[in-house]
Amino acid sequence: MADIHQFNHRAMATYIEVRIADEERTYAAQAAQAALDLLDKLESQLSRFRPSSGIAQIAQLAPHEKMRLSEPTFACLEIAKKMELATHGAFSPTAAALQTQTSLPQWSLLPEELSIRCESGRLEFDLGAIGKGFALDRTAELLCSWDCSSFLLVAGGSSILAGDAPKDAAGWSCGLGDDNAPQRFLLTHASLSGSGLAVKGSHILDPRTGQPALRQNRAWALTDTAAESDALSTACMVLSEPKLEEVLAQNQSWLVFLETGVSARPMGRRALPPQACLPAKTAGAGE
Amino acid sequence: MVDPLLNRRDFIAATAVAGAGLLLNACKSDSGQHTAAVKKSSLNTLNIALIGFGEEGNVLLESILNIEGVRLVALCDIWDYHLNAGARYLQKTGNEVRTYENYEDLLAKEKDLQAVVIATPDFCHAPMTNACLKAGLPVYCEKMMSNTIDGARSMVQTMRETGKLLQIGHQRRSNPRYLFTLNRLLNEAQFCGRLTAVQAQWNRAVKEDFGWPKKYEMPAATLAKYGYKDMHQYRNWRWYKGLGGGPLSDLGSHQIDIFNWWLGTTPKSVIASGGLDYYKNHDWYDNAMVIYEYPLAEGVARAFYQVQTTTTSGGGYFETFMGDDGTIKMSEDPSLCAIYREARATAVSWDDLIQKGYVRAKAASAADAAKVDVRETAQLAEYEIPVFFNKPPHQPHLENFFNAIRGTAKLNCPGDEAFSSEYTIHKANDAVAAQTRLAITPEEVKA
Repeated sequence: MADIHQFNHRAMATYIEVRIADEERTYAAQAAQAALDLLDKLESQLSRFRPSSGIAQIAQLAPHEKMRLSEPTFACLEIAKKMELATHGAFSPTAAALQTQTSLPQWSLLPEELSIRCESGRLEFDLGAIGKGFALDRTAELLCSWDCSSFLLVAGGSSILAGDAPKDAAGWSCGLGDDNAPQRFLLTHASLSGSGLAVKGSHILDPRTGQPALRQNRAWALTDTAAESDALSTACMVLSEPKLEEVLAQNQSWLVFLETGVSARPMGRRALPPQACLPAKTAGAGE
Repeated sequence: MVDPLLNRRDFIAATAVAGAGLLLNACKSDSGQHTAAVKKSSLNTLNIALIGFGEEGNVLLESILNIEGVRLVALCDIWDYHLNAGARYLQKTGNEVRTYENYEDLLAKEKDLQAVVIATPDFCHAPMTNACLKAGLPVYCEKMMSNTIDGARSMVQTMRETGKLLQIGHQRRSNPRYLFTLNRLLNEAQFCGRLTAVQAQWNRAVKEDFGWPKKYEMPAATLAKYGYKDMHQYRNWRWYKGLGGGPLSDLGSHQIDIFNWWLGTTPKSVIASGGLDYYKNHDWYDNAMVIYEYPLAEGVARAFYQVQTTTTSGGGYFETFMGDDGTIKMSEDPSLCAIYREARATAVSWDDLIQKGYVRAKAASAADAAKVDVRETAQLAEYEIPVFFNKPPHQPHLENFFNAIRGTAKLNCPGDEAFSSEYTIHKANDAVAAQTRLAITPEEVKA
């Protein structure tokens, strides 16, 4: 069995796990520490609850005002914008603004100035899951620069990002659902995110209507990056199946699973990853 | 709205007539002006260099990029891993910089600089600052000034000899919340009454030593050239004598500086206990508890400071000023700031303070004095400091520095003033070693 070191942290209002395989422990611990320091830094830039974060400051822009952003904040918003378009508005980083405003605020990114401009409304961003996913993606880059390429990153149990497989394994065993879920896949170089109402209740708003998500069952998204999978799984909660088909038709690397009673049904053009057996003890061997 | 490029004098003037609320809003000061800036430097567009792009250099860079009229043109770091990361990051932000391993090369080749920002390990500060000042450049140098008192003193001497500006990075001295609270609540309203005690702490959770990606390890010759025994010492210089000053210096320096600043004087003695009790591979103490005695006009005030690197970070970092009328708890983290007042403190009422805009009620208080509702015991009204401040913490201090270069502000933490705090902090380390009470005279704290 591969030698896997696990490091735990609290950030972004949830728990974070960094699991590194096939490395000497001290080196893995130092790499994980660097990764967790990066996560903390990204949280300080992306959290709407930090008064000095770019995201908190954006909310004070009046229409037609603009503001320079840190590079990570800009990059995260670029992905959020892309996902808003790709999901036909089913995902929006400003959905929470509908609790205080009658319509979604409008905004533009100005790449040449690394700035955001408020077009209308109050830019109340809640990067929520996509912020966590983005942070996982950046953390993965850092771990690769340390040559710790066999890793599994976990954010709150709802998002994972897998790197290389541990030695002697075909991938990281990841299940759809609660602990020891029977439907499992061996993942490498992919991100799996889940959304649902079981833990936090009706916290997902449909950005197109301002109404709570209609889907009562869970949904999972499998993509190349954690920012994408987080946004896509959130969008799944408000999209009808025909609309979801349209969204998935645009991207070959996306796969979605919809909970249907006994098992989760896949949708999308990405090939199913190899299936994993339920391990004897728990998923992923930690320390 | 208060001007985002507020200097201390303007800030005090502005807050003297403050209304019920005060908003200090940063976000409109950074509206993409950098890319439109002309190439040639001027007082409107200052060309600057950043020497040191480690943890602190990263923090300063993000603030620098927010400031209008400042263009980073050169970046220096001895570790190519950091240097290249910095250059790549700046490229993404639309800033092309020239990169240097050696600060002396930078000074020799960069002929259109107006200032230098230094964020290197403490033992480099004095030689780098002295060289930059002698090259005719104003310097913003991170705290501590130096790992030795002599090094710090040499910086003040060079500052005086060259007549160039030297700002030390005690950034709270430019923090609008600190300035407002000191000037309005503590000094003008005498909110605390007679100050008798101060308590501050900064605890950091136990964590791994800093490592490095193996493939980016610096050659031994490079490490030796710049004063490091090995890569571990380079990455963890803060724990080593001869390079840094330990936790009292790293974390305590900010807060002990505030003791001196807010109490308006330096202590007459220090007693301390600390040790290297947890980590096996550090030089410096990993925990310390310090008590200073401050001779105030109304009597002695004692100031207790603790720094732990052997615990959780429990409670965060703050400074609490306590008097016989009230208490002010300050922190860079606004969620930790609080004010408390004794019922006996009647000279100035909460209502007076609210009317002047010095405090703000957290919850609505009874508006109709002719009416009362009787039910379960109500909660006491809570009050807060009415300064909303949303810039990165270091930004106002950097702005103050750049404005001082332009002649529109006075430095908030010039080298000679910072030296008094520097001396006070070094004395705490001495007191830990001596295990006895050390006297501090008003003369010795001056450079």
